[in-house]
Amino acid sequence: MRLSVLLGAQTGFFLLLAIVWESISRLELADPRLLPSFLTVLGVLGDLLTQRDFLMDLGITGLEVGVAFIIAAPLGVSIGFLLGEKLFLGQILSPMFHFMLSVPQSIFLPIFMLLLGIGFLEKVVFGVTHAIFVIIVTTTAAVRTVPRDYVTVARTFGATPRQIYLRVYLPAMLPVVMTGLRLGMIFNIIGVLLAEMDASRAGIGRRLFSWGEGFQLDLLLAGILLVSALTIIINEVMRYCEHRAARGHVA
Amino acid sequence: MSSEVIRVENLSKVYSTREGDFHALDKLSFAIEEGGFVSIVGPSGCGKSTLLQLLTGLLEPTSGQVLIDGIEVRKPLPEKTGVMFQDATLLPWLTAEENVAFPLSLCGTDKKESQRRARDLLKLVGLGDFINHRPAELSGGMRQRVAIARGLVRDPRILLMDEPFAALDEQTRFKMGEELLWIWQETRKTILFITHGLTEAIYLSDTVLVMGTKPGRIIEVIPVDLPRPRTFEMISSEFFGKARNRIWKLIQEEAEA
Repeated sequence: MRLSVLLGAQTGFFLLLAIVWESISRLELADPRLLPSFLTVLGVLGDLLTQRDFLMDLGITGLEVGVAFIIAAPLGVSIGFLLGEKLFLGQILSPMFHFMLSVPQSIFLPIFMLLLGIGFLEKVVFGVTHAIFVIIVTTTAAVRTVPRDYVTVARTFGATPRQIYLRVYLPAMLPVVMTGLRLGMIFNIIGVLLAEMDASRAGIGRRLFSWGEGFQLDLLLAGILLVSALTIIINEVMRYCEHRAARGHVA
Repeated sequence: MSSEVIRVENLSKVYSTREGDFHALDKLSFAIEEGGFVSIVGPSGCGKSTLLQLLTGLLEPTSGQVLIDGIEVRKPLPEKTGVMFQDATLLPWLTAEENVAFPLSLCGTDKKESQRRARDLLKLVGLGDFINHRPAELSGGMRQRVAIARGLVRDPRILLMDEPFAALDEQTRFKMGEELLWIWQETRKTILFITHGLTEAIYLSDTVLVMGTKPGRIIEVIPVDLPRPRTFEMISSEFFGKARNRIWKLIQEEAEA
C-alpha cells in the first residue's frame, strides 16, 4: 500500500518533469531549436535506434566498455587482494594506488593518444585506467573487513590455505568487492566516453560531440537520454547483484 | 590400559615481549577420560584461551605436549576434535545446513552424504525446521546450536568449547546447558568446557579444573560428586554451595595475588 503510493508519486514527478519540458518547448518559452520538445526527442530516438550505423557506433562503445571491464575487473581485484593480504607489499604500494585514485585520469589522455594512437585500444586502455584504481582500493579495503574469527574457524576445521582463500576470503569480501566493481564500471564508462568525445572516429561519444557542435539538439538530447538510460540500467543490474551477494552479510 | 582421550603434559607457553618473557601457561598437566565432561574456570588472563588454542593445534607450545588419542597435536585435527567458540562464528553467507556441512566440504565428503549428516545434526539440536535459514535470521541461542552441530559433524570424539554460552542471556544459557548435557548423553563425546560461570561449570561437569594466573597453571582439581542426570534443585544443595564457594575463594585469591 505505502510502496504503491510511493511508486505512484515518483512516476508522477517524472511525468511532471516531462510535461514541463514539453510545455516549455510547445509554448516557445524557449527556442524549440535549442530545446526540442520531449516527444520530438523521443521520436528522434526511435529513428536513431533503427539506423544501422548508429547501432554500430553504440556497439563499438559497448565493446570498448566491455573489454575494458573484462581487463580491469580481474586485474584490479587481484592487485587489491594482494595489497590487502600481503601486509608488507600493501604498506609499500597502497598509498600510491590511493593517491592515483584522486588524480583526474583525463590528464593522461594526451599521453595515451601519443602512445597508442587514436582508436579502439586507446579507448579500452583509458577505460581500464579509469576503472582499475577504485577496484583496487575497495578490494584492499574488503580484505580487511574479513573477520579473523572466520579464518580461525576454518583453520580449526582443517581448511588448507587455498580453501581459506576460496571458501572464506572470497565470499566474505564479495559484497564490498561488488561495490568496487560497480563504481569501476561507472568510471570505466566515463573514461571511454571521454576518450571518444575528445578524439575519435567511432562510438557514441563521438556522435554526441559532433551533434553538439552542429547544434543538432534533437539528436544530442536523444543520445543523452539513451546513454543515461543504458548506464542507469547497467548500474542497477550491478547493484542488484551486489544486493544478492550481500544477502545475510549482517554482523 | 586407561581410556584417556586428552592428555596434557607439562604444557608451557611463553610469549616474548619487549618487557621480557611472559609465561602464559606454566607446566600444565591434566588428563581427561573418554566420555568425561570437564570444565576449566579461572580469573581473566589466566591463559584459558591460550590453552584452547594449544589444544586445537592453532598454536605450538613452547614446551610440553598435548596428546589426543595418543597423538601429539601439532596442527588442527578436525577428525578428532570439534571446536566451538564464544561467538557462534557461523559464515553469514551460508545457510544453517551449509554451515554445519562446511567442515565436511573441506575434506571432500560426498555432497549428498554431507547434506544428510548436516540435517540429522540440525534435527538433533532442535533446528530441523531451520535448515535453510541464514545466521542473520536466527537468534543467538539458535546460532550456538548450529555451531554445536557443526562441531559434531565430523563425528569427533572430543568437543572443545570456549565459553560457548557466555554471550547468551541467563535463561537461554541455562537451557543450552541442559541441551548440551542431553547431546553429550546421546553422543558420548568427551567435552572440555571453558567458562567464566561457576554455576555452569559445576552443574555441567564431572570435574572442574581451577586455573590460577601469572603464570597460568592449574591450582586445584574439584570432582563434582553429584548424580546424573543433574537437576535444577541440585544447584541449591549443600555440596553445590560448598564447591561454588571453594572455587570462588580460589579465584579471588588468584585475582588479588
